Amino acid sequence: MAGKIVSIHSFRGGTGKSNTTANLASQVAMTGKRVGVVDTDIQSPGIHVLFGLDEHKMGKTLNDYLHGKASIREVGYSVGDNKVEGEGRSQLAGKNLFLFPSSIKGKEISQILHEGVDFNKLNEGLQTAITEFNLDYLFIDTHPGLNEETLLSIATSDILIIILRPDNQDLQGTAVTVDVARSLDVPNLFLMVNKALPKYDFAEIKKDIEEQFQAIVTSVLPLSFDMAENASRDLFSLRYPDHEWSKALKNIVPHILNAK
Amino acid sequence: MPGLFDRLDKEIKDSQKDGGISPLDIAKLPPSLRKIMRVMLRELQLTYPRICEVMDAMPEQDRLTHAELDEALAALSEQFWLIRIGEKEKAIYKVNLRRRAGSTLMAGIWSSLDEKLKGNPPSKPK
Repeated sequence: MAGKIVSIHSFRGGTGKSNTTANLASQVAMTGKRVGVVDTDIQSPGIHVLFGLDEHKMGKTLNDYLHGKASIREVGYSVGDNKVEGEGRSQLAGKNLFLFPSSIKGKEISQILHEGVDFNKLNEGLQTAITEFNLDYLFIDTHPGLNEETLLSIATSDILIIILRPDNQDLQGTAVTVDVARSLDVPNLFLMVNKALPKYDFAEIKKDIEEQFQAIVTSVLPLSFDMAENASRDLFSLRYPDHEWSKALKNIVPHILNAK
Repeated sequence: MPGLFDRLDKEIKDSQKDGGISPLDIAKLPPSLRKIMRVMLRELQLTYPRICEVMDAMPEQDRLTHAELDEALAALSEQFWLIRIGEKEKAIYKVNLRRRAGSTLMAGIWSSLDEKLKGNPPSKPK
């Protein structure tokens, strides 16, 4: 097997999953690796915004692929070859980063919800994206919660990163996801805590969660007003590399690169 | 007149419609079969000799004998969790994932939504 699949998941919405996925994928691409990002959150897609892709620029989508109207090769959008606005995003020029977006057209979203998803085709698309684009890493941005697309991405992933907030609802949901991931033999399971109040002791949060789940917490990222103010207009960790949030995010990169 | 490839393709598509495995079903399989399923998901299809290779590389406590493996593959194929193309040593296996069913909401809801999205108000109920 060639490239590795990295699934980014959270049990609940609002954990910063898409932002984390886009920033992590970009950081890995900045190391010279060939990286893909697939938006399997078909019912509420959004990661394309972080890469500066809007409805007018969006060509073929994962929806077209699933409906047999496009090949996966046609869906892949080269972020590095397209001029994008944003001080952070523009650093990706010339890098090998490919986005496989989901459609943001209401009609196409409703069509998928109505007709269902052919998982054989979806899985074939994921594996073909790796071979056709010669990817080292394929990041999958999933829909929050445990739905069938998410379970498929967990079942096929080499690395699973579960994002949670230090919140009891998140902790309970994460326990379920960790159980499922373990029963599917995911080789590398990591946790990432996001939106931790700066007044907390981050080392203590990391220790507590690692003990509770018997899994590595790669990083504890602070709740950041700067990040909120960025409002997905740019890739925060590239634009503000010395910010605490960015530094904590970059701590995850070696875990991905060194995973077997 | 359809050729051999068309007939095989139709046969596979028909059997895919009949069912399939969900990731939760995969989680419930014995460790050795789970491992094979995971490799198959990644490589899309495996030949019988390759499955034997994957099995032989497993820790001894998880390993199935070739007879047990044959029995397991036959059972999985019978349930349409695996699709087998060809026979015995020359067989190729593919995972058959269960399709996610569409919404069971009344079709009218979707057409109303589509009309709304097109900017046309849905027609009034009589």
